[in-house]
Amino acid sequence: MTLMSYGEAVVDALYTSMKEDPTVTLIWGSLTGVGGQSPLVAKIKEEFSDRILHPPISEAGMAGIAAGAAMSGLRPILPFGTASFMLRAWDQIVHEAGSVHYMSNGKARAPIVFHGVHGLRGGGGPQHSLSPQAMLWNNPGIEIVLPSSPADARGLLRSAIRSNNPTVVLDHQRLTKVEGDVPEGDFIVPFGRADIKRVGKDITIVAASLQVKAAISAAEELVSEGIDLEVIDLRSLVPLDEETILQSVAKTGRLIVADETPMRCSIASEVIVTVCEKGLDFFKSPPVRINRRHGHIPTNLAMEEHGLPSVQRIVAAAKSLAV
Amino acid sequence: MSDEKLIRIFEQMLRIRRFEEGVFELHTAGAFGGHYHLYIGQEATGAAVINALKGIDPIFSTHRNHGHAIARGIEPEAAFAEILGKASGSQGGRGGTFHLADPEVAMPHTSALVGGAVPLAAGAALAAKQNRTGAVAVALFGDGCFEEGVVYETLNLARMWQLPVIFICENNTPGALAKAEGGNNTSNLPDGRVADTPRALKIKTFEVDGSDAIAVSELMVECRKICAEKSQPIFVEAFTERWPGNVYSFPSMVTGMTDFGILNEVGVEKKEHSEWFDKGDPVLTLARVLLKKNLMNFSEITALNKRVIDEINQAKERALAAPEPALESFSEFVLFEEAQS
Repeated sequence: MTLMSYGEAVVDALYTSMKEDPTVTLIWGSLTGVGGQSPLVAKIKEEFSDRILHPPISEAGMAGIAAGAAMSGLRPILPFGTASFMLRAWDQIVHEAGSVHYMSNGKARAPIVFHGVHGLRGGGGPQHSLSPQAMLWNNPGIEIVLPSSPADARGLLRSAIRSNNPTVVLDHQRLTKVEGDVPEGDFIVPFGRADIKRVGKDITIVAASLQVKAAISAAEELVSEGIDLEVIDLRSLVPLDEETILQSVAKTGRLIVADETPMRCSIASEVIVTVCEKGLDFFKSPPVRINRRHGHIPTNLAMEEHGLPSVQRIVAAAKSLAV
Repeated sequence: MSDEKLIRIFEQMLRIRRFEEGVFELHTAGAFGGHYHLYIGQEATGAAVINALKGIDPIFSTHRNHGHAIARGIEPEAAFAEILGKASGSQGGRGGTFHLADPEVAMPHTSALVGGAVPLAAGAALAAKQNRTGAVAVALFGDGCFEEGVVYETLNLARMWQLPVIFICENNTPGALAKAEGGNNTSNLPDGRVADTPRALKIKTFEVDGSDAIAVSELMVECRKICAEKSQPIFVEAFTERWPGNVYSFPSMVTGMTDFGILNEVGVEKKEHSEWFDKGDPVLTLARVLLKKNLMNFSEITALNKRVIDEINQAKERALAAPEPALESFSEFVLFEEAQS
């Protein structure tokens, strides 16, 4: 175990993956805000300079090139920097990379990692604060990964780079400086296994990315109120670990989903409807969605903060459920 | 170029022509639905370009892909079956007319989105360059792609990264007159030509008569050589003939099924399409060249024609008789799954 920041863990995963597989190619774009502070960045640049490409501002072109390269024997990693910019390459992500395995009847594959920093970042405003995971989830053929801790960031990114599918890895800006113990060496985190970050008996709270942190804080705050939250970190949306969620709700009978995407067709909506379909009888009270508030993201910092699902909103929801 | 190669290209063009006529018949008979696009009139470009490639060179095509697929080596039976949505199709019926492809013949993916193939080919070139395979990637696309931003982005990227990719723009835009008569535009570019754009990006660019199989073939051999040796992108604008049947959203066989009797001025009523028969049709044009060069005589051409027709008809019948895919397979291959041990 090594204590490192989330950003350092991302860079460590990149370094390890590039070291072990010579087809891993980094279309550098920008890792600023994720791991720029890691000393490994310089090492990657030096050791793998022939596998790092410096692109212009051409998201669609880069994503299409990454898709074509992945169909032809490379494992490209394409960081968009800000996840909002993925929309500029939506066609290439969804229609080209996302469809080729299906449309070729299983003959072709496109092992790409599309990376982006999602979510509210402090002044990003309406065009730099997107959390595209829900709209991505509506497209077949793409794996979606949302780490919440340094260990998961390293383990999940390594799985993403090894995966034979197009995989979107979304890191949250506000997690990049969070520190934690990270296993070294060949450690990976497989997809489709949610992680129970805190065991509890009264209420299940499902979250991903930054909201896992909020959920844990809320759980700690609620100890004094005698309310015991079970915090489930989804880690990957595709594949989704339904089993872990259902088992938890079967135990607690109560469900909150904290989610940074807008409410309609959100992660929260999808998780809740899945539990309704497969475990409606578990519910002792109606499930609760805590989403980003309805609206675009204003640049005003206080307004932006107000829009985010917060520890306070989770605490309030938990109290109302526990009555 | 060798006589054998020219005859091989002619045979390939003829195979594409008969295949496309077969596709027209199938659609007319209601054997498959939706709109579709035929490659009639552009056979010289596709056949000559692909003949200049090595087996490892991947190609990426568009909605008008049938000719490229046949030339690249997808069996006519598998191509017919795919268009008919059959289980035995090149992609099990999941791609259809818009997406004929097969990674096993170095045609990994066909995008029906305008401009979609262009970055994919550049990506395949990137893979070839990084993995040092020696392959050259080829994008085949129409002039309409220059109305899409991703094409400009890709050309710039290919130049920046010096990717071994050949961009073949098959400019099949109708003349101003045809447009005035209701012909559907393939593009609305001011000059009706595109070569100035790659030139402005400092990409080595050629223009060629796309209905001249010999010219395209000779140019392509040179392009492949430069591209592979110097690892740099090359752009070719091939001006192809607008087949009169390609006027509205659905093709119509206004020029009839190709009849080599016309070479002897018998059996075909040219009507208003004399320009097509005399100068436009690349298959007839190359047949005349072969006759003139004494590479084939008329009876050899008709014998080859009969063999190709028989082959295509058999492929069509077998495809029609092939089974439909199982409906239960709908959700297969959404994601690649590691084989369970």
